[in-house]
Amino acid sequence: MTASTPAIEVTNLRKTYNRAFRKTGNIALRGMDLSVPRGSAFGLIGPNGAGKTTFIKSILGIVQPTEGTVRVLGGSPEDARIRARIGYLPERLHLPGSWTPTAFLATVGRLKGLPPDAAGHLSLLERVGLADAVGRKIGGYSKGMRQRLGLAAALIGKPDLLVLDEPTDGIDPMGRMEVRRILQEEVQRGTTLFLNSHLLAETERVCDRVAILADGRVVREGRMEDLVRGESRWVARFAPGASVEALGSAGFVPARADGAFHVEAPDATALNAALDRARAAGALLVELRRDGMDLEAVLLGTVSAQAMRAAEVAA
Amino acid sequence: MSPVLGIAGYVLREAASRKFIMAFMIGLTLVLAVVALGMRIDVIDGALAASRLFGQEVRATIQSVDVALRPVYRAAAFIVFYGGILFGIVACSDFAPSLMSPGRIEHLLALPIQRWHLLAGTFLGVMTLALGGTLYGTTGLVLIFGVKTGYWTVGPLVAGLMACVGFAAVYAVMLTMATLVRSAALCAAAGFAVLVGGIIAGHRQDIAKAFEEGVSRSLFQAVTLVLPRLSALAEAAGDMAASLPLEVRSLGTLLVGVFVFGMAALVVGFWRFEGKDY
Repeated sequence: MTASTPAIEVTNLRKTYNRAFRKTGNIALRGMDLSVPRGSAFGLIGPNGAGKTTFIKSILGIVQPTEGTVRVLGGSPEDARIRARIGYLPERLHLPGSWTPTAFLATVGRLKGLPPDAAGHLSLLERVGLADAVGRKIGGYSKGMRQRLGLAAALIGKPDLLVLDEPTDGIDPMGRMEVRRILQEEVQRGTTLFLNSHLLAETERVCDRVAILADGRVVREGRMEDLVRGESRWVARFAPGASVEALGSAGFVPARADGAFHVEAPDATALNAALDRARAAGALLVELRRDGMDLEAVLLGTVSAQAMRAAEVAA
Repeated sequence: MSPVLGIAGYVLREAASRKFIMAFMIGLTLVLAVVALGMRIDVIDGALAASRLFGQEVRATIQSVDVALRPVYRAAAFIVFYGGILFGIVACSDFAPSLMSPGRIEHLLALPIQRWHLLAGTFLGVMTLALGGTLYGTTGLVLIFGVKTGYWTVGPLVAGLMACVGFAAVYAVMLTMATLVRSAALCAAAGFAVLVGGIIAGHRQDIAKAFEEGVSRSLFQAVTLVLPRLSALAEAAGDMAASLPLEVRSLGTLLVGVFVFGMAALVVGFWRFEGKDY
């Protein structure tokens, strides 16, 4: 695989679950196109039933697409050699309760075709914060501890691609920070991270690219900073004493937050012209930033727009 | 290491953690210990002079040891055959459904193993368990009576192996059922159905006479033709254990029939599993 080859590339991916005794199937994916660059931290977000889990299962060969092509790490997910380079944490990992974590990791390592590495497994358990629970049986683990163990299993063999489905589910805030640190370390190492999480703040902090999936289609995709950035609206703050009327005539509209003003400026020239007018009126600029949105707002806006478009088409 | 062996190890480790399987092994050990400690057999010149169980005399007539042990080994063979299969159906019914449970199957399928490895490994793990339990029981019995009487025979061990062959056919159907419906209860039900059907199939010629000549008898014969003749296999195992001449016409044909049935069931399961979404 060359550096330019995407880690994941799907084209026109469709998946319909056919049910017995029913004429029509359940459509989960309706022609999805997506390319995940190698070495990126990619987040997949979307409402429930959007097809996120089906997509993840498709790229791992767990479900077989009805139509379309799936390429992962330059090959087919059906190829065991490709899957050997993937670390996967499913949404609700079912772990054998009577086993110890070391026995579980040793079994996963064996099934991945790796040589026995007890020291490496202990070090992995330490890395995910389970050093104190190594001797305990998995059945006695809390939900968060099970997630950590699942993450350790996904990290076995230093995979080139990490596919994590709700990795921080059930983990306490301190634990989330640790998991975030581990994921960032993996991305720095060159691993491609593919993250599906309902915790949008988590996705926002970890990922550099995001795709929004709705109704089985990718409705928006791009760099995180581009998605959360406002198009042409800026937020400015001025030193106390600035005249609201004068700022208003310069194009600055008071925002909800105290002392903040919004200004519309499609480019740098327009922005500086507005600032010059404000300064000419005696206002002193102390803060300027693009009026961005958080990922939640981006998701809600995108999904609502998609729903409206779908309603219009249906009408 | 082969992924099939890896999955078999996974199943065996799961089995080791099951309390009822451990209880079964402990119970089996206790039975063997009771037989070993509670039975006294006096053999003079190769003949059974007297035998006592917990101090009570159980046989007074003097006869050759191998003849005297025939009913014991024959009864043991039937217990191992039918009891073993019944216990196997109950004890192993949830191995495959458990392996295919949500959250576990996705994890396993995402590993670099082929789907058929998963089924073959499960089958191998369960059969290793069945073989281990059978050989433990039958070897223990042969050792106890061998030491006490000086009469050594591999008959009960061969009978135990034949019981494993019968169970293999039954478990093949259970495994295939698990690929169709992930339910331990349905797997067990399928196993029981094959066992009952196999008992009937072994007596199909006799039972067929009870049907009126025509469609009903032909239908019965057609259905039982494809089933493994488990009761015939059990009879053969009993004869083997007791070192008696076989009543079945061809043990080879019987074993091939059971093997073909098991393989056919597995092929259906493998085919279904290959194309299934989880």
